[in-house]
Order: sequence, then C-alpha cells, then structure tokens
Amino acid sequence: MLEIKNLHARVDGKEVLKGIDLTIEPGKVHAIMGPNGSGKSTLSYVLAGREGYEVTQGTATFMGENLLELDPEHRAALGLFLAFQYPVEIPGVTTTTFMKTALNAIRKKRGEKELDPASFLKLQKQKTAEIGMEPEMLKRGVNVGFSGGEKKRNEVLQLAMLQPKLAVLDETDSGLDIDALKVVADGVNALRAEDRSFLVITHYQRLLEYIKPDVVHVLADGKIRKTGGPELALELEEKGYAEYTGQEEAA
Amino acid sequence: MTGATTAKDEGFMQQGEPLAAALPWLEDARALEKPAAGWVNALRETGADSFAHTGLPTPRWEGWQYTNLRPLAKHKFHYDPAPVNFDAAALPAPLLADAGRVVLVNGQYQEKLSTLPEGVEAASLMEAAAQKWPGIEDQLVRVGDLAQTPLTALNSAYLKDGFVLRVAKGRDIEQPVEVLYYNIGAEKDAQAAPAIYPRALYQLGENSGLTIIERHMGQGVYLANSYIAAAQDSASRLRFYRFMAESGDAFHFSNTALQQEKNGYFEGFSSATGGAVARQEFRLLLIDTLNSASIGGIYLLDGQQSHDFTILADHFEEGGKSAQHFKGVIDDQARAVFQGKIHVRRSAQKTDGYQSHHALLLSAAAEASAKPELEIYADDVKCSHGATSGFLDPVALFYLRSRGIPVDDAKDMLVESFLNENLEKVSCEPVRDLYRAQVSAWLAGRRK
Repeated sequence: MLEIKNLHARVDGKEVLKGIDLTIEPGKVHAIMGPNGSGKSTLSYVLAGREGYEVTQGTATFMGENLLELDPEHRAALGLFLAFQYPVEIPGVTTTTFMKTALNAIRKKRGEKELDPASFLKLQKQKTAEIGMEPEMLKRGVNVGFSGGEKKRNEVLQLAMLQPKLAVLDETDSGLDIDALKVVADGVNALRAEDRSFLVITHYQRLLEYIKPDVVHVLADGKIRKTGGPELALELEEKGYAEYTGQEEAA
Repeated sequence: MTGATTAKDEGFMQQGEPLAAALPWLEDARALEKPAAGWVNALRETGADSFAHTGLPTPRWEGWQYTNLRPLAKHKFHYDPAPVNFDAAALPAPLLADAGRVVLVNGQYQEKLSTLPEGVEAASLMEAAAQKWPGIEDQLVRVGDLAQTPLTALNSAYLKDGFVLRVAKGRDIEQPVEVLYYNIGAEKDAQAAPAIYPRALYQLGENSGLTIIERHMGQGVYLANSYIAAAQDSASRLRFYRFMAESGDAFHFSNTALQQEKNGYFEGFSSATGGAVARQEFRLLLIDTLNSASIGGIYLLDGQQSHDFTILADHFEEGGKSAQHFKGVIDDQARAVFQGKIHVRRSAQKTDGYQSHHALLLSAAAEASAKPELEIYADDVKCSHGATSGFLDPVALFYLRSRGIPVDDAKDMLVESFLNENLEKVSCEPVRDLYRAQVSAWLAGRRK
C-alpha cells in the first residue's frame, strides 16, 4: 500500500529526514515512536504534501502512484488521510459544509457520484452518532471553540466520513485526557479493516494500549533505528529513547 | 470636524480667487432652473462657491492621501437636467420579491416605477421642497463643512435630483424598501460622460422602523456623486443595507450622513464590489443620549479597482454606542482604504465605541491602507480598535486540501470564512443571504 524508500527531506534548509525506509501492507497498523525533533511530524507532512517540506532524495509510492508528485488534494482522493496534531479552526464555515465539500470533492475525483444533500446528512448523522459527537457541533465553525478532545474527535469523524486507505495519525494523543483518548482510539479501532492501514505517530506508548499496533518503529534523528512488534513500545516506555539519541531523556 | 453645523450657519463666502481647475465642473450648474424654495438656491450657491475655491481634493489633503481622483481627468463629466431616456424593462429585477421599491435613474426619481408599503411616502426632492415637507430644509442643508468635503459641495451645487422618503411616527414597516440607484453612462472610451448628483433623505418619525436596501449600479462610464441623509427621530430604528455594485468603469462617491435624536437604533452595512474609483463615506452623528449606531461592510476588489470606506462615529451626548466592522478581500493590483474615526465629545460620557478593519490580500500587488483614529475628550468611555492585513493562512489551506478539497475551492472557502464573520452582523436574514450570494458570485467570477 505504502512503500517509502530512502526518503530525505528538508525543512527551512535543514535536513530532517535522513533516509526513511518503510513499507506498510494493507490492513496493518504501524506505529512510529520517537523523541521530540526526531522527524515524526515531518514525515507525516511530507506524506500529506504540505508546502515547505522539500524532498531531496528517495521515493514514496502509494496505491501504485508516485505520491510525491501529487497535490495534497490528489493524495486525499487516492486514499491518504492525515489526522492533524493541531487541527485548524475555520470560523464561518460549518463542519457540515466542510465535510460535504470534502467528501464530494473526493468522490468526484474518484469518478463516483456526488452525494445528494439528504444522503450526505444521513451518513453524517450515523457517523457522528458512532463517534459520540454532539450533532450541535456540526453547525459550528470547523473546530471553533472546540476543546482539544473535541478537535481530535472531529478528526476521527472526518476519518470515518472519508474512509481513506491509509490514515496517518500525527500525535493524536497529545493534549488528551484518558477519556478523550479512549474515545479517539475506539473511533479508530472501529475503522480497522482488511484494506485500510494506519500509521500511528506518537511519543508515548499510552495510545498504543488502545490502538494495538502490528509493527512498531523507532524514529530518531531522521532515520528508523529499530523495527519490532508491540513489545518494542513497552520496552521504549521503560527505557526511554536514550539508546537512540545518545542522551538521557525524561520519559 | 464640525458635523452638526450647517453650511448655512457658517454663512461663509470663500476668500480669494476661484481655482481655474474647479470651474469646468460648475459649468452645467448655470443651466439649472431656479426652484421655488429659496433654501435650495442658497445651498446651490454655497456649494458652488465652496467648490470653486477648493476644487477636487488631491493626495495632499487630509483624508485623501490614499484615494487619488486623478483618473477622473480622463473624461469630461457633464450634468444633464433633462429627463433621461431608458428602457424600464431592462432595469435589474428587485432583490427581494416582497420588498417595496424606489427607482432613480441617473439620479432622477421615477415615480411610476416606485411602489411603497403603507406608512411610507416618497416624492422627488424638488416636489418635497415645493410642498414644504417638514424638516427637509434643516436635514438637507446640514452637510458639514463643505470646504472639507468638496464632492458634497459639488453635489450641493447641482441640488435638484434625488428624493425624500418618510415613515410616519409610530409606524414599524416590516416590508423592506429597495432603493435602486441605476446609472446609465457613456461608452467605455468616451471623452464625455454623465455626472450624476442625487441627494436623498430618509426621514424616520418618532418610534418608527424601516429597512432600506440601497443598490448602486449602472453601465458604462459615469460619475455618481451622491449625498444621502438619514434623519432619525427619537426611538426610531433604521436598518440600512447597501450594495455598491457600480459599473467597473464608473466613479462612485457617496457621503451618507446619519443623524440620531434620543434612543435611536441604526444598523448599517455596505458591500463594495463595483466602481473603478470609489469612496463611501459614512458620518454617524449620535447627537443625543442613548443612541446605538453600527456600520459594517465588506469589499471585494480586483483588477485596478480602488475603494475607500471613510467612517466617522461622532458621539455628542451620554450613553451612546457605536461600532464599525469592516473586512475585505483584495486581488490583482486593487487597493482598499479604510479610514475610521471615533469622536467622543466632552459631554459624551459612558460612550462605548468600537472599530475594526481586516484586509485579506489575494495577490502580492494588492494593497490595503488603514487609518484608525480615536479622538476622545470625555474621561469615562470605552473605545477600542483593531486593524490587520494579511494573506491566506497556508496551514488552513493545507488542512482543507488534505481533506481532498481542490486548491481553488479551498481558497474560496477561506475567503468565505473570513467574510462570514462580518456578514453575521447583518440582522436581516434575507439580506445576509444576498450578501453571501454576492460573495459566492464574486468568487465564481474570478475563476473565469
């Protein structure tokens, strides 16, 4: 599904990714753990196509296409989804309008028929209920006045609505209390499927107690230093990232 | 600023010689027939005399640093008092199906095309003057310092066209009234083009209520230089909505003066999409206690357009509240100007004044200039202001695109998001929808 080879990327002229190799098979949940500044968020932005993230070497192939050549909206239509660490507030545009525009844009690009307003609302109502989001919030500006947990829940709603092939969750656990974390994890788990993969990026092992990964990678200083099973997350929780960074770090 | 004084009070005659450059502008005024009402004639003379000595403002004038009138020199503008020929069927259809309507073509009041709800009366300016409608002389000569407002002086020199609309005491009119100012100009490259000088007066009787929707539109090249007065008697409520969508080759200058007695409520809003060079000036005079006046607006500019909102909120007495909310979007080489002033006089304690202006630049060559001013002489007041200008937020744009929304749609969405906040100040829902539709149409037009 996703194959990354020797990926190097620069931000503000500084090399942050220094040769990433990563292959994700359909239906798998991969976790990338790493200390702050290791390049975790950079990897997610490079995959989603954010401006200012310059790829200098390597390739990324997604669903058989050269991902790095595509605009962000094409990547989304192809089935890539990035759940933001800091979801953006868009005042004056309701979540409903935003969701409808996004879903229909993706359907159109995939050559599917756009949803009529009634079918869209029915789908949105169902997904909103599944995620346990207050329907009232859909009428507000996107993420405006939402708490940290509500913003993340809104990301999961978008994930559920857009049904991507690969969802990249960028520090979705940051700033969440344990209840909000469970809600987000439940939402993600409900979406696990044979043809859908996840790349869960996190600093802490905590989230991985609720979203069980198949594969865990340690990213440090722009490279994947170690790959293992779920037990690797536990080991990191215990020992910290010191052995990968060459310095002590408070966990 | 001497907002409440009248040209007549000052009784001035300008000193010195008239300016040669000013005189061609006044040539056609001699052709005006003398009307019966003496005050009309007096105001014409005062206006002409004042303009002869000032001419048009230049960028060296206070308040005119940002809007340059030099493009007016490309044409020679003529005023024609003869009834204008037009095809009534070709006029734009009303915006709201159930609204009353007043039509002016090149400033001339069209009685036959006007329909008004019960409780509202209208007449051409000259008719109302001949019939001596109460208050109109006072309300129409109260034009401020003409030496500071040459375009209003010029409008005064040609005092003839326009109309008066009045709402009887105690009447709360539910049906909005659309006022269409339709202007027929000359061909794009014509040397000679029409000058249009309407003067309108909206009179609200004590404890009355009205919603006005002004549309300023037209075709070809013309100069529309209007003076619009709203006189609110005690405890009256006026909602005043404007769509300034003049022809792209036209020049629009409007000076709108509101005067509120006690306990008045005024909600004003204007959108600016049209005109080559335009300025909308609003003077809100809260002359008695416990008034509330808000004025908001949006502008959508592209090409070489230049638009200017110049606002004064002048608090005379205690307990007044005023707000100015402006936002706009500028593309290509267009430029926008916002000059907003809050003036709080010594006796205007407990004043609450607010002002904001935010510009969104869609191109690197677009320009926004803002001049906020607070002039406060009372000590117990609350006044604040804020101004920003900037480009679309790249993170927000990326967020939308990452959800599959194509880049152009995402940009439109962010522009709508930016403007919607201001449109929410429009309390009349059907009108708010009209403004929204105008924004969508403007965005769609950019794509072509």
